Amino acid sequence: MASARRVAVTGLGLVNPFGGDLSDFFGRMLSGESAIRLFTREDTVTSALAVPAVRCTDFDAEAALGRSLSYTMDRYSQLGTTAALSAWRDAGLPRTKDAPRNDWGVSWGTALGGTLTFESAYIDLLRNGRERVPPLSVVLGMSNAAASHISIQLGLGASCATYSVACASSAVAIGETLSKFRSGEATLMVVGGSEAPLSYGVVRAWEAMRILALGDEASAPRACRPFSADRQGLVLGEGAGAMILEDWDHAVRRGARIYAEFAGCGSTSDHDHLVRPNVEGQMRAMRMAIQDGGLAPEEIDYINAHGTATREGDPIEIAAIRGVFGSRSAAVAVSATKSMHGHMLGAAGAIEAIITVLSLASQEAPPTAHLDDVDRECTGVRHITGGSLRGSLRAALSNSFAFGGSNTVLAFRAVH
Amino acid sequence: MQLPVVGTIHFAIMKEDNLTVLGEFLHKRDNIDPARVTREASLEELKVDSLLLLEVLFEFEDRLGIKIPRDIRRPKTVGDLLEIVDKLQAGKGV
Repeated sequence: MASARRVAVTGLGLVNPFGGDLSDFFGRMLSGESAIRLFTREDTVTSALAVPAVRCTDFDAEAALGRSLSYTMDRYSQLGTTAALSAWRDAGLPRTKDAPRNDWGVSWGTALGGTLTFESAYIDLLRNGRERVPPLSVVLGMSNAAASHISIQLGLGASCATYSVACASSAVAIGETLSKFRSGEATLMVVGGSEAPLSYGVVRAWEAMRILALGDEASAPRACRPFSADRQGLVLGEGAGAMILEDWDHAVRRGARIYAEFAGCGSTSDHDHLVRPNVEGQMRAMRMAIQDGGLAPEEIDYINAHGTATREGDPIEIAAIRGVFGSRSAAVAVSATKSMHGHMLGAAGAIEAIITVLSLASQEAPPTAHLDDVDRECTGVRHITGGSLRGSLRAALSNSFAFGGSNTVLAFRAVH
Repeated sequence: MQLPVVGTIHFAIMKEDNLTVLGEFLHKRDNIDPARVTREASLEELKVDSLLLLEVLFEFEDRLGIKIPRDIRRPKTVGDLLEIVDKLQAGKGV
């Protein structure tokens, strides 16, 4: 049940593969533009990689964070801290450490943490025959490094926690703050997630599961086709997304711009299978988020789907949406933006929550790109295809369903 | 004898080199102005914290092929740090 205390989204920030700012990114999402390109890598390895992927090629950590700070971070922390600082500025918050901020905290998500640091160390040890690794390897690689850097940079004294729940990591990180706001423990939280998964070993591991989309230079931008009859798998991506969540009254008192209300969250476990999703588990999560947000199913006008474009996952999510919304399903607008920004694993929930919030704020939702031929098994909802959907969007869900069977759904309400 | 004289001269150049190496490393790693990296400079004032000090020691170990013991007293100045490195490089204990 929703308590009297409400939560406002007052700042958004990201590091995205297009290299531009928030509105540039969202504009490209609305127009269905894919950031997916062929990713090749032939350094240090014996067999070259060539897979469609999403990279933040323009990201310059030293320019964004300064030399000293960027050197003490793995790429996933560089992306995450940059996104968090951007959200902080977007929320109009001052960079002072003087004010007591012991009820302001960080809740972050990453599926893999410092995988590039680990890989570099293993290459040194096992391939280059070195007997030791750089002394910052531990603090670069640890999975809570991004969150701690954000806490230090912004002087946040409440809890600083990192959630690692595979592809739902940052959705869980966002969702877990609700109880802190409702209890009065937190006044402001920097939430989100970051991932830099394009290490050789990680890409090869996903390839081995036979669920990575294939493609060459020409076909890569269209490689990820959620809900499409000819979908062929997911595309890995790096990036980061951050939001400033704030006690509603606090946000109003300081005159902050409120993008949307973070209304509710539902988290469930399929308790069934490591990788096969479960309709009932996903339905329970969506229902819980709607109820927790004090919403009625009839108010949900848009769903940012988990939609990874795997053969098995997509129909199950659509079946779950149909199960929750029943006869109204055909009116519920659905899109899977992974078709454009790829699957950012631990950052996916945050990026997609940002897209969901911006959809409510602008009353315009992005399409699923490349969805020309909806799979018969994925019909029954209002797929947004071809271009964006303009219309009255009262409330929206952002779905994140992880390997392992953990489901987290975030519910946002438009501010009018 | 010629040898000790040559050794002394070599040792003097070596010490200068280690200071230069340190200055270059701190510049590359932390954008610290090499002109500030003098033997008298305080490591704290140069903002060489415990993590950065670990990196500095690692760099010297790598470059000079020395092994800096775990139980050294934490240096306060650049001079303290270079003394440790110089002694190890010259084959003396610290």
